[in-house]
Amino acid sequence: MKFSILSYESPDNFAARSDARREAHFGAVFRYIAELKSAGVFAGGAGLELPHTATTLRLRNGERLVQDGPYADTKEQLGGLFIIDVPDEATAVAWAKRCPHEPGRVVELRAHIQSPG
Amino acid sequence: MTLELNEDTMNYTLLIYENAEAFALRGHPDVEKRRAYWAAWPPYAQALREAGVFVAGAGLEPPDTATTFRDPHRRVQDGPYADTKEQLGGFFVIDVPDLDAALEWAARVPVAAGSVVEIRPNLVPPKAEAAASTARETLEARP
Repeated sequence: MKFSILSYESPDNFAARSDARREAHFGAVFRYIAELKSAGVFAGGAGLELPHTATTLRLRNGERLVQDGPYADTKEQLGGLFIIDVPDEATAVAWAKRCPHEPGRVVELRAHIQSPG
Repeated sequence: MTLELNEDTMNYTLLIYENAEAFALRGHPDVEKRRAYWAAWPPYAQALREAGVFVAGAGLEPPDTATTFRDPHRRVQDGPYADTKEQLGGFFVIDVPDLDAALEWAARVPVAAGSVVEIRPNLVPPKAEAAASTARETLEARP
């Protein structure tokens, strides 16, 4: 079963990407990816640029409207995701709990829709 | 180790936020509506693949199936993180030359009215970033 581990990050978590905490911040992420890979469960992922770099496209009355900025107006914003392929949900929960936690970061686990066949 | 780095393209993630009506179509009692929802996605994914821009993609189970972990005690909560009207329903990672190309693909995502597509550039992994920078410096240092 495939799952996405979605990492929602606070403004301070995003700041850690480029200040004195940069090495510790990315180091934790790379160690986590290495653990996923050595367990044979890593199935992909994406680190996302800062929320303000987002462009949002809405469909309204048949017209497509383009706006700068992310869709969600939430305090934490999606910062990246990890895709894992594991035998069951309990294993997915265990891996989600090991996702590097920094104060402010919220981790959401969501199952992928099974491809037909 | 070879580093695969195509400097002419970059990865973008198309985050597809669907509204409650769109999520309801997935299991709609009207078989035609249900089929129409599901039938829209494979041709889109196929078009990405045929254009050579597909990197990854996933449809996510509905938000009420999510489990969320919060700091500092990794307290477990049922349900998604965000309390927004539209919720993340899936995503595609694509490899294209620029934002304009990403926007063109985003406009072709087969979402129903009311849904939203957010386009976000992907981080270049620091190792690749360092390699690209070294490569540039080497080139620039040439007489």
